[in-house]
Amino acid sequence: MTDIKTNSASSRTKQKKQGYWAGVARDGNKMGFWFVLPTVLLLLFIVVFPLLMQLYLSVTWWTPLEGIAWYRAWEVFNWGENYWFQLTDSRVWRALWRTVLIMIIAVPLQFFLGMSLAYLFIDQFPGRKVFYSIMLTPMMVVPAVVGLMFFLLFQGTGPVNAHLGLPSTFSWLTDVNRAMISVIIADVWQWTPLMFLILLAGMLGVPSDQLLAARLLGGSNWQNFFKIILPRMKAVIIIALVLRAVECFKIFDLIFIMTKGGPGVQTETISLFLYKQTFGEFEWAYVAAIGLTILFVLSVIAAKGLAYMAKKSG
Amino acid sequence: MKVSPGALALKYFFVLLACAVVIYPLLWMVTMAFKPHPEWTTVAGLTWFPQNPTLQNFEFIFFGEAEGLVVSLDRTIVGPLIASLVTSICGTLLAVVAGTLSSYAVVRFGLAKTLPLSVLQLRLFPPLAVMIPVMVMWAFIGAIDTWWGLSLIYGIVTLPFAFWLMKTFFEEVPVEIEDAARVAGCSYWRVFYRITLPIVKPGLATCALFVFILNWSDYLLALLLTQKDWVTLPVYMATLTSAMGGQMYGMKAALGVIAAIPPVVFGLMIQKHLVRGLTFGALKQ
Repeated sequence: MTDIKTNSASSRTKQKKQGYWAGVARDGNKMGFWFVLPTVLLLLFIVVFPLLMQLYLSVTWWTPLEGIAWYRAWEVFNWGENYWFQLTDSRVWRALWRTVLIMIIAVPLQFFLGMSLAYLFIDQFPGRKVFYSIMLTPMMVVPAVVGLMFFLLFQGTGPVNAHLGLPSTFSWLTDVNRAMISVIIADVWQWTPLMFLILLAGMLGVPSDQLLAARLLGGSNWQNFFKIILPRMKAVIIIALVLRAVECFKIFDLIFIMTKGGPGVQTETISLFLYKQTFGEFEWAYVAAIGLTILFVLSVIAAKGLAYMAKKSG
Repeated sequence: MKVSPGALALKYFFVLLACAVVIYPLLWMVTMAFKPHPEWTTVAGLTWFPQNPTLQNFEFIFFGEAEGLVVSLDRTIVGPLIASLVTSICGTLLAVVAGTLSSYAVVRFGLAKTLPLSVLQLRLFPPLAVMIPVMVMWAFIGAIDTWWGLSLIYGIVTLPFAFWLMKTFFEEVPVEIEDAARVAGCSYWRVFYRITLPIVKPGLATCALFVFILNWSDYLLALLLTQKDWVTLPVYMATLTSAMGGQMYGMKAALGVIAAIPPVVFGLMIQKHLVRGLTFGALKQ
């Protein structure tokens, strides 16, 4: 009785906790402890200590330039002025807005394109396998290389201008608006395949007999899609969107290679801003403060999201 | 189901269009790598395929100089290539070993139930928001610009993928097989090593390749934690940009091709499991 109550492990271990198996489970736990240890140590190493250090540094003026060791950063303690300062720093807010802008344009676009492509690939057709492989290539290319590819494409003397019949003085990456468009195009090019891959897997997971039945009953493609496929893909769609949104918020490589955040700060996302503060201004304490704030906000969002999902599904 | 020829033609039209969009940027870079200097830009007309194909771009980045080029390079691709290989492989080993062991313990013994989510957390935040203390720490222990320093951080940031991927593979192993071996007198370690591990071997290989791709694709961490000796390929590619006054399109394209080949090849090899890996096992194909 008590066994079942106290043991919240998987049902498999529940059954085992009696007589002979109890001793066995103890052995297992002992080995399991050693198995878990490396991961736990790595986590502690990269989470607990750095987080404390970040908190410590974020309430000082510390910078690596002055030659003060980080543990003596209290000498320049500033009562958390960094946190106050970031709220009034328009560059932070603009960078944040640009990041969100890229996210709300690129992610839905990727979703729409990925969904359409997945719908094309739902049935067998000659050459499907080859086309499928080709479609997946972009997301496997190193993001920095994708940045280079689009950097080359969008040069004034590059093929895009030549195809569109524009003069070589027509610039993409150094123009205020078009730089953003170029970056979004590159991101969509690289990550639509991910959406396609996930959504197709979800679509193929829709019971084919239901789909067949709907087709036999004379449902139009349109009806089948919205009435049969879409409702059954809800979980998959959420996974795909969340994954992409999280990754898109981190966007760095592409933009850094393509425009370095320029022209000026026109394509500066939050990651690029932090990078420039880190290596341009060397205001590490300030970066630590902003980083912690981001960490906190994202954690709250993630916790709320998880709780919401748990409530919905349970 | 019968598809009308019209619908099929329409489908092919869209599929081919999508493929063309996919191939367009790739093709420009790949052909660029084999083009001599005058064909790098469209000034003298757009050429998709090199009119005078040459290997001089590759020659240049490997040997630092090439026939017919006045400039030379003080650092060739060899160092970064080795750095990329060493750090990616070591990071992959670390992630896969730690991830495999701990996910097995979580799946089989029900230990550390909060571990899966805490591991996942590592992927949530923008790396730059949390890199300050890591850089300070790395500098403190002398790990900046070393192979082990970069490998260590690679192993940690890809651990979530290894953990979740292996978790799904272990969950697929029937527990009855292990129980049978236990009854026959195998120790837990023996069961794991002799029974379970061989069963998940294909999964293990998939996981290793997948994690390798992720490590190889990194740009930011190498940018922050290396300076000179252990600069990786993508970082080297970007510095080539700034070091050369004139635009070295051809050389950069050659570098891009070299950097892009391993992940694309490996990625196509593990195509079947990509969904599983990328969604942390939430979705299988």
